[in-house]
Amino acid sequence: MSVIVADGLTHRFGSEVALEGLDLVLDSGEHMAVLGENGAGKTTLLRVLATALRPTAGRLRIAGLDAFQERRRLRHYLGYVAHAPGLYPALSAAENLEFFCDLQGVSRSRAADVLETVGLKAVAHRRADQLSRGTQQRLAIGRAILHEPRLLILDEPDASLGAGAFDLLSGVMHGTTVVLATHDQALANRLCPRTIVLRHGRSLGTATHLRVVQ
Amino acid sequence: MNQLRVALAVARKDLRSEWRTRELVPALAQFIILALLIGNFGFQIDSRNASTIAPGILWLALVFAGLVAFGRTFAAEREQASLEAMLMTPASPVAIFAGKALAAAALLVVCEMVLLPALSLFFGMPLSGDVVAAVLLATVGMAALGCLFAAVVARVRARELLLPLLTLPLWIPFIIAGGLAVQSAMGLPGSYQQAIGLLIDFDILFVVLTSLAARFVLDE
Amino acid sequence: MNRFERAAAVAVLLMLLAAGAIFVYAPTDALQGPVQRIFYLHVSSAIAAYGCFAVVLVGGIIYLRNDSAVADRFARAGALVGVVFTTVTLVMGMLWAKPIWNTFWTWDARLTSTLVLWIVYAGYLLVRRMAEPGRQAARLAAVVGIFGFIDVPVVHFSVTWWRTQHPGPIIVNDALPVQMLGTFLFTLACTLVLAGVMIAIRYRIETLIDEKQSIAEPVPVAAGHRAEAGPEAVP
Repeated sequence: MSVIVADGLTHRFGSEVALEGLDLVLDSGEHMAVLGENGAGKTTLLRVLATALRPTAGRLRIAGLDAFQERRRLRHYLGYVAHAPGLYPALSAAENLEFFCDLQGVSRSRAADVLETVGLKAVAHRRADQLSRGTQQRLAIGRAILHEPRLLILDEPDASLGAGAFDLLSGVMHGTTVVLATHDQALANRLCPRTIVLRHGRSLGTATHLRVVQ
Repeated sequence: MNQLRVALAVARKDLRSEWRTRELVPALAQFIILALLIGNFGFQIDSRNASTIAPGILWLALVFAGLVAFGRTFAAEREQASLEAMLMTPASPVAIFAGKALAAAALLVVCEMVLLPALSLFFGMPLSGDVVAAVLLATVGMAALGCLFAAVVARVRARELLLPLLTLPLWIPFIIAGGLAVQSAMGLPGSYQQAIGLLIDFDILFVVLTSLAARFVLDE
Repeated sequence: MNRFERAAAVAVLLMLLAAGAIFVYAPTDALQGPVQRIFYLHVSSAIAAYGCFAVVLVGGIIYLRNDSAVADRFARAGALVGVVFTTVTLVMGMLWAKPIWNTFWTWDARLTSTLVLWIVYAGYLLVRRMAEPGRQAARLAAVVGIFGFIDVPVVHFSVTWWRTQHPGPIIVNDALPVQMLGTFLFTLACTLVLAGVMIAIRYRIETLIDEKQSIAEPVPVAAGHRAEAGPEAVP
């Protein structure tokens, strides 16, 4: 079954085109990497796919539902790690996750499990603003998987993760459908069988196990 | 109820953050004391005219402290990019909004706990249960409206400029009714009962309206 | 001349006729003297302003319900024209008040609520200027427009209850001479035509602005022309 069916996604900020006529089909369980330079439209595409941004034109269906008419019903289905971690600096790692357990409507005990999954058990009671950028990123990833989403949208989650990125991400991505934006082509190839390259908001094409794009 | 649980979780999160950082309340308290200082030199207050001028200073200080408090609650979420994370969850935007408003109102009540005794200390304003009740009732509606418009301007440039412009006209009914309630509680002519009744009516009206509007402001 | 220019010419002509009626046809008020002639345009532009803000309210509600770009443009046009008419109302009212009340301003219910009206919709226009144009600005402004409209009767009520000295509506009073009533109704009709023409022209301008910024109207989300997208285009 197709998890994502996008048809002619276009987004403009004023007169600036961030995304133009993008078509995309992603099947259940597929992992797809989105590559491209800064400003190529990666973040815009991911925000649209996460239903955080309504495109100025185009259609998007996720899990068979219209992504913008039925956004509320897709909340349970979707997990999104945005570019900024979006944590509460004065709350501890565990408190950040427990708060989002309340919002997701899942048991707070889930926070401890997820801290374990993303390898943050040792710093669970440290305040978020005292954590390193990479640790904050892990916490943000943890927050996105609290409700065990079936579709994960990850916007450069590896940017500050360092050496542990592959292990963490491959663990988190296992068994779900994933769209992952990254600059790291080697990592993209290891994690995602499929790749799409963006330039100026357009797709330069997709490939399976893309090796080198110059 | 699930909505209530979300609202309380959001309010608890905000209050806990404020308790840990202790940024907003001390700043607001300082601000209030400064407002009283300015009021004193601006009006040449003495024991004879204090009771007519003190209520005016009370509302001025409260209104501007409120603008700062409500502006801050959503601006902080924007800066941290955490508002979007909250809205990506299945939790209802109205419940999230209610939680934010609740926490902001609680912070404003803490400020009032500084403001009212200070007014009575510096200007000899009598501190009665009637005055406290009027101020608290006005806080409810002002918090609902203030948070709604703080959420509106949080995604706009020049939000510091726009928040007072949009919020103050909508607070006027509360200031009229609240002002009269405080004046009559201090012995000036006017019906206290009627003013309090009006405040309650306005509270109900604007709390209902803001919760209806919150969905459109916070969604997306 | 295109049809907007023709409409504008007609509106200006009507306003000149109204001026003629006000200064020539209508009799001089026995008590207030010539100053009373301000009343005709003052009340007419107040009613026109309320009409414009009703357009903002209805446009905002329709926009929130179904994202209609047309409704939003009407709201924007209504707000701008409404602020213009509110300004006229306030200025003429103050000119009238100076000789009659011996002060330009008093904190009476009608004056206070009209001032609040002006502030709210001036704020509306500022939100439109400062927010990034598009769906978000439109939604935020719609909320501002709706709350502003609700706030006016509330402010009015609370000040009335507090104190008021503005003359009550005497239009319905049959003591009003028929020439005065006729002049008032004619001026009102002309002013409403003027407001309508201004909104229509402003609507056209807003449409052109939208087209220039190429903010496409939301594509219908019902089943589209291409049912299921095929494989992505490979260059």
